[in-house]
Formats: sequence, structure tokens, C-alpha cells
Amino acid sequence: MRNSLILICLLLTGLSAAADWAPDIESWLSETPPQPTAVIIRSATVWTGSEDGILESADLLIRNGRIAAVGSSLRAPRGALEIDGEGRHVTPGIIDAHSHAAIIGGVNESSHISTAQVRIADVIDADSINIYRQLAGGVTTIFLLHGSANAIGGQSATIKMRWGAEPRDLLLEGAPEGIKFALGENPKQSNWQPDEPRYPQTRHGVAQIIQERFQQARDYQRRIDEMPSGRDGRDRVPPRPDYELAAIAEILSGERDVHAHSYRADEILMLIRLAERFGFVVKTFQHVLEGYKVAPEIAEHGAGGSTFIDWWAFKYEAKDGIGYNPALMHRAGVVTGLHSDNPELARRMNLEAAKAVRYGDVDPHTALKMITAWPADQLGVGDRVGRLREGFDADLVIWNGHPLSVYSRVEQTWVDGRRYFDRETDLARRQALAEERQDLIARVLEANGNSNDNRETQAEQPEQGRTFRSMAHAHLLGYRPWELEHDEYCLFDDHNH
Amino acid sequence: MPRSRLLITGLLMLAIPAAAEDLRQPVPDAHALTNVRIVTAPGEVIDNGSIVVRDGLIEAVGADIAIPPDARVHDYQRGEDADRISVFPGLIEMHFSLEASGEKDEEAETPPGRHRLIQPDRSVNAAHWDDARTGRLREAGFTTVLAAPAEGLLKGQSVLANTGSGGLTRNLLVTGVAQHADWHARADGRMYPNSLMGAVALLRQTLADARWQRQARAIWSRQPNQPRPEWLEGLDSLAPIFDGDMPLVFAARDTLDTLRILDFAADQGLEPIIVGHGQEYQRIDAIARHPARFIIPVNFPSAPDVRDENDRDVGLEVLRHFKAAPDNPRRLIEAGLPVVFTTHELGSPSDIFGQLAKAIERGLDADLALAALTTSPAEWLGVADLAGRIAPGHMANLIVVEGDLFTDSPSISDVWVDGIRYALAALEPPSIDPAGTWALTLTMGQMGDVDAQLIMRGTAQALSGTLVIMGSEVPFSDMRVSGNRVQGRIDASRFGAAGSITFNLEVDGDQARGGGSGPFGDFRARGRRTGDPDQEQG
Repeated sequence: MRNSLILICLLLTGLSAAADWAPDIESWLSETPPQPTAVIIRSATVWTGSEDGILESADLLIRNGRIAAVGSSLRAPRGALEIDGEGRHVTPGIIDAHSHAAIIGGVNESSHISTAQVRIADVIDADSINIYRQLAGGVTTIFLLHGSANAIGGQSATIKMRWGAEPRDLLLEGAPEGIKFALGENPKQSNWQPDEPRYPQTRHGVAQIIQERFQQARDYQRRIDEMPSGRDGRDRVPPRPDYELAAIAEILSGERDVHAHSYRADEILMLIRLAERFGFVVKTFQHVLEGYKVAPEIAEHGAGGSTFIDWWAFKYEAKDGIGYNPALMHRAGVVTGLHSDNPELARRMNLEAAKAVRYGDVDPHTALKMITAWPADQLGVGDRVGRLREGFDADLVIWNGHPLSVYSRVEQTWVDGRRYFDRETDLARRQALAEERQDLIARVLEANGNSNDNRETQAEQPEQGRTFRSMAHAHLLGYRPWELEHDEYCLFDDHNH
Repeated sequence: MPRSRLLITGLLMLAIPAAAEDLRQPVPDAHALTNVRIVTAPGEVIDNGSIVVRDGLIEAVGADIAIPPDARVHDYQRGEDADRISVFPGLIEMHFSLEASGEKDEEAETPPGRHRLIQPDRSVNAAHWDDARTGRLREAGFTTVLAAPAEGLLKGQSVLANTGSGGLTRNLLVTGVAQHADWHARADGRMYPNSLMGAVALLRQTLADARWQRQARAIWSRQPNQPRPEWLEGLDSLAPIFDGDMPLVFAARDTLDTLRILDFAADQGLEPIIVGHGQEYQRIDAIARHPARFIIPVNFPSAPDVRDENDRDVGLEVLRHFKAAPDNPRRLIEAGLPVVFTTHELGSPSDIFGQLAKAIERGLDADLALAALTTSPAEWLGVADLAGRIAPGHMANLIVVEGDLFTDSPSISDVWVDGIRYALAALEPPSIDPAGTWALTLTMGQMGDVDAQLIMRGTAQALSGTLVIMGSEVPFSDMRVSGNRVQGRIDASRFGAAGSITFNLEVDGDQARGGGSGPFGDFRARGRRTGDPDQEQG
């Protein structure tokens, strides 16, 4: 939402800056950082994200990309990289369970009420500067979700922030498959321009269409299962493959987790009952602003709650949001997390956690778990990331102070035991970038000096998809046009994510 | 009714003899090109030889071949100190899109079971053919094109044809050469697909449907006493792709798109031909991981507009690409990737020579560059015994050029297609020295007069020009002198249009008059020389 406000300001003031602004660092030029055989962080305050709580003056040993030990006075192997943790805090890498920050070519396939066949994994934007910027805010894993334009959206992707890697290598290996669902105003097109009304236009219509798709998927799966195998099947016409129904059938068989965009208590209860009728458990409710009203029911069903701490009232169905929602859901036994849904907010998720201390008196370590351990559990990767525990991936953040303080900042972010962000390195690199710029500009001036030079083809960035109204200002934010598509879609169609 | 029927009958009667006469146009006969340097294939050169052409084919080529008595002799002998005229094999363009005319009407009523963007059974036909565009390719030395339908996600099948005049009737070589895909096609408004992931999903489902239809229909025809599978029109045309008998040509937008295509193709067990974008150097190791072939544009960006060394308005990304782009062709070839070049994304097809000269300057092997326009595409297209070389039995598709081909403005004097000579404006020795500043008045039809300044520098043999018009300075991409005429060309993209703007001025002392044409229409020009740009102030 705040992004959208910036956009509105830009549109209103009509800034005339002509800068073709783009980040100076590019993913394809960024080499994978080395993975030291052994790293030891000494005498730090370690927030484990696990039942061990916060360990003062502790050591943390990494071997070959995994956490080998957390404790005091650890022995490090010869040649281990030593990091002085004195006065520093170490936390698990932040996990953002609701993001659209690295998706190319549209966040919504908004044409049909169900588009379960589309896959975010096909359109991961490994070049997005958001990946680097969020590393600088301590984020190490994000959950890329389809938008909320339809009741059954696309298949999601869990990625690690391996800046520089190509899209398929960003995928967190072995993460469970997921899919976006959406309830309420967005799928029923409350705030859309009424150009092409689509069924359904009501909340009970949304419930009906979801139920119908599950029935269809069940029938589809039955036809597949009834196909005789081997010799017997050779003369039988097989059912036509249907990637939409196949994905929905995977929900019924427990092979695909549902992450449902939702605001109101009644629609949350609706989906819980529908899921129980079809025999599956909703993995998370996303946004879930009225979760506090039905927290016991959510906990009993076994769903997680992935919410904003203080974003509400941006539309009618969001009017009952309260800052105490995470605390209340947590107290009722819901696996609770805080998400960004916004590439800018994602850089300072630690402050979102800090607000959970303010609203509802959650203790700081518990608040930190809302952006680390519990989002990891919600994504089904809690046995591997989100906690500083022996055997887990060495995805961690070194802070220069208390991680929930506005005065603290990230010094280093590690993913897979590789230092992907280092504040000192970043600062030092700026000189090299300035020199590179000077070099290149000298080259350009030289080329322009030769006026014989053929200037045939003007450098035009290939146009990406549809042209949006505020694209002209994309560069001012440092976003490439397609990164703004989603924000603008929300802005002009009065949507939420 | 009777009257209009009469009219139609009358028109038909007029049309039939005309068409018949058309078909009886000159039968290519025998020609001999003598005293030429012949590049028979990349790296294979005959310093002084002859080529005999008969009935559209090359009959003989060599240093000491007999010239048949019935051949018309084209002697390219030149003065003692002049460079010999060279003959190159005609070039092959593998990326040429043709709008399927009348398509809009088809769109209005898409029958059930069909998606408007899925048209694998469509093929380029005579109605799509565009003589003007193939003519421009021919002038740039391209004698054979792979022409594909332009629209859709699965666009349909391409044809291989020569670029001679006379439409597809005269020029068609092979039909059903390749299937063409582009997942940046979108449905209108809120129709499916309106996102990239939707388009990928639609293509994935379509290929699955096509495989299923093949299997299901085969089973059902063997065993018809069971529920009949539905029939999806058009998808049977995809069978040759699965059998490896027809390549899938896939358009990529950027480096991540190339990787997306490679992953998709690997998943489908296909080895695609990818139409590239010029940024492949960015992740070349990743691109080399799955077998694919590449049609690469040489769209190197012009120097960005920077004011001085402190300019902060141009992004480092743009500056880096400006520097690295001319290395892209060499980097791809060095990585061992099969590559051909395309004029796609250039203002004018003939710009490819200057761009390749730039790439050659950066270390691209000139023979490999020629191969990527001749022998390689011929092999990919299965016509290596017909095209891509100057050899007996091959089509008489030739480029006659004075001096080097890979240079900013090669002096192509004639292009032969199927043994027919298409003469380009032959250059006469310069009889004027037009260097100087010229005040011109351009008259553009309804728009009236526009004042402009034409600045020409250099000698008549090596002339460069700039046009100063409506406050902007626009360089000529090509400028030459023939006799008392100056011929120049400006890339129309500088004015936000496609194609080129041509200038033709007749110079008499300090007076000039002439005209030109461009995408905005024709214009007349007249003016006089006002001075020497290097002598005056401002």
C-alpha cells in the first residue's frame, strides 16, 4: 500500500526527472559468494528461534553451508573463518511468507476464476533488485504467491535469496508445493472496473465455485485412477490431461498446500468448513485481519495465520483489523507469522516484529519467531530454515544491535553458509562502481566523438507485457516496469494483494 | 444483381489473361559473371573466376571455366588498380514475420475448442506475402527467407522462399518448415491469458493436449467401441514437432526468457531454435546447458546520450550493455552454440553489415559471420544442397559487391535471385565534391516547407552527413556519391518510425535539388551550399 502512495504522489506531482535510473549492481554480474568449509561466529547474542531462546555470548559454527553447532566455547576447525560477534546479535534469516517481489510478466492471471494451472515457478525474476535489497534487510527466504484476483490462483514458489543465481536455482529444494486461494472482495470483483463481470460477484458465489472445482478435481482424479495400467490400459482412451484440475486434485491428496488470502471471520470459517468437508487442512490464511475473532477455530483446524501487524482499513473488508491480531492468534495456538506483501516493507520486517511486542506484549523472542521460525513452519520448511539449530541451513543475519530496535541494522546476511550481503563490502564497492561508470562514459563520449559513427539502433528495452499508466515513473523507484505492474494493478483497480 | 455480376465477369476476363501472362514472364536463361572474385562459401575464395548461371541454377563456377556461347556475359572487369568486384552467396534470413491478412475476421468467431492464440495449423500463404518487404531484404543481399506467421502464441508454420519478384508462386521452396511460438502473445482485456505465467501454462496445456489427442485417437480408431475422445482442431499439426521432424522456433525477450524457454523445452523433450535478443552474453553458461540453436539479432545499441563524464542520468545497466553488446555474437559462437544472425530489430536490413563489421572488429571471425548468414541456415533448413554456397546445382542466388561486404555501407551493385539479376542503383565515379554546409528547404506535401541544414564532411569517396532539422541533429547512416548525385539514408527510428528515410540530391556547383521518401511520405528538396562546417562559427 505504501508503495502505491508513493506512486500516487509521483503521478500527482508529475516529476519530470528524466533519469533512466537503474540499480548499479546486476544479478547476472554477481558471482555466487564462496561457501567456506567452516565459519565460526564468536561471543554473539544468538536468537535461536527455537526452544533454546536467546543465548548470550554464544558461538555459532557453520560447516559446509549448515549449522554445525550453537553453544558456548565451541572449538572451530583449523582454517575456519572467524567472525567477532562481540556486541552483535545473530538471528535466523527472515522468512517472508507473502511476497510478489521477484515475479516477471504479471502477478495475477486474472482472466478466469480458477487458474490453478499457472505456475509462479515459470516466471521467477532472478534479476529483481528486490532480492539484493531484501538481503540487506536480513531476508533469506520468500514465498512468491500469485495475486488474489481469482478464487483459485496459481501455484506458488518458495525461493531463497541467492542473488546472482538463475531462477531455477533460487527454488528452495524440497519445499512443499503450494497454491494461492483468495476470498472476498478481490475474487468477487468488488472494486474492479465493471468492464467484463465474471462469475461470481458474491461471497457465497466464491464458496460455491471453490467447492465445484474440488468436485471436478475429484472426478478428474477418479478417471485417472480408474485407467487400467499396463496391457489392460493399452486399448482404453485415456482421460485428457487437465493441469488445472490436476493441481486442485493435489490439494485433496495432501500434495499441495492452500494459502488463502482472506480478511473476514465469516469467509475464514467458510473455507475451514469447506476444507474439512473435502478432507484437507488449509495451510495458512493470509492477511487474516479478523483472525483474532475466530482464532480458536483456526487453531483447531490446524491452519497458520500470516498477517500484517498494522495495515488495515485500506478497503471495506479490512476495516476490523487490529494491531493485537498476531498476539491474539498466537495466544490461541495459531502458528502465527508476519508477512510483507510488499517489496519495500520486506526490507524491515524486524520492525514489524517489534510492533508485535508493542501490541499485545509478545516477548521479543516470540516476536522474532513470527518472522523466522513460524513462517518457515507455515511454508513446510521449518525443519530446514527459520531456526538456528544444528543441521539447519546456515541462513542467518548478523545485526549490529538488538534486532527489534529501530537503531539496529543488518551487517551481514548469510544464505547456505555463503555471505550474500555484507555492509562493508557493499560500501567498498561503491568506489569501484563509480570508476566503472567513468570508464564507460569515457567510452561513450569517445564513440560520440566519431560522428561518422552509425547510430542505427537506439537502445530500447524490450517492452514487457502491457503498458501501464505510471510506467514512465518506474525508474524513479528503481523498479523495472514489470515489477510495478502488480502495484499499479492494485492502485488503479483498487485491489489488494 | 445482374449489373454487378456482369462487372465481376468483366473483371475476371481481364484478370485471367493478365495472370497467365504473368506466369509466362521471362524464363531465366543463361548468364556468365566474369572477372570476379568469388567467395563460394565462407573461407573459400576464387580470386579471379567466372560463374555460369542457367535456368536459375548455377551451372559452373571456377577460375578457368568455359563460357557457353549462349550465355549473356556480365563482365565485371575493372581498372588496373581497382579492387576486383566480389560475388557472395545470397544470404538467408531465418526470422521474417508476415502478418496474416484477414486475421481479424477470423478472430471474431473462434469456434468452440479453439483458442485464438493457438494456430499451429496456420501456414504462410500467398495472400500474406509482402513483395515490398522481401524486396528490401533482397536489396540487402538476402535471397532466401524463412517466413512465419506473425500473430499468436503458437503462430503456425513457416515457409522457405526466395525473395525474387512475383510473389510466393515464383519463390516458394518448402512449406511446413518450422512451427513458431511466442509466449508474449496475450489475449485482449481480461481474457486468458493476460500474464506471462498464463501464457506459459496455456502452451504447456496445448502440448499436452496435442500428445494426448494423438494417443487417444490412435487408440480409439483401433478400438472404437468406447467413448469417443473429443477432437481439438489444429493440434494434429504439432505431431512433427514431437517426432523431431519439425523444429519449434521460439521467440525470447531477454536472458531470463531464454532460460525459461530452455527449461520448458527440456521438460517437453524438445530442442528449440530460439530467436534471441542480443543479451545472451549475460548468462551464457546457463544458456549453453540444454541443446538449442539461436537466431541472434545484431541490434547493438547506439551510444547513450551522455552530456559529460559526470552525467548521472544514464544507468550503469545501459552503459554496460552498450559496451558488451557487440561481443555477444562472438561470445555465443565461442561458447560452442549454433548461431545464425538475423536483421530482426534493425532499422533496415542492410544495417546488418555495419553491425557485423563492429562485431568482427571485436574479434568475431568474418568467415563464421558469413557462415551464420549462408551455410549454417541452409543446413538448419535442410537446403544445404541448394542454398548458402556458390556451387554447381545450387540456386543462382548471388550478391555482387564492390569491396568488402561486412562494412558500414557495402556497395552492393546487384543481387541475383534464381538467376534473375536485380540491379541496384549502380554507382558511377563521383564527379562532384559535395562537402560543406547546405541550407535546404524540404517540401512535404500538405505539411508545407521545412528548413533544414545538411552538413556533409569528408571526400566524395568517404562521405558522412548530418541533417539538422527542427532543432535536432540526425546523422545519416549511409551516404555516398554517384556521378553528380548524393544518396543518403537515415534510420527512421530517429523520428519514431520504422524503416529508412532516403535522400537523393543532384548537385550542380553550389546548388542542389532532389527529394526523398520515408515512412511519412515523399518530399522534395532544394537548396544551396552556404559554407564549410569546419571553417565557420556555428
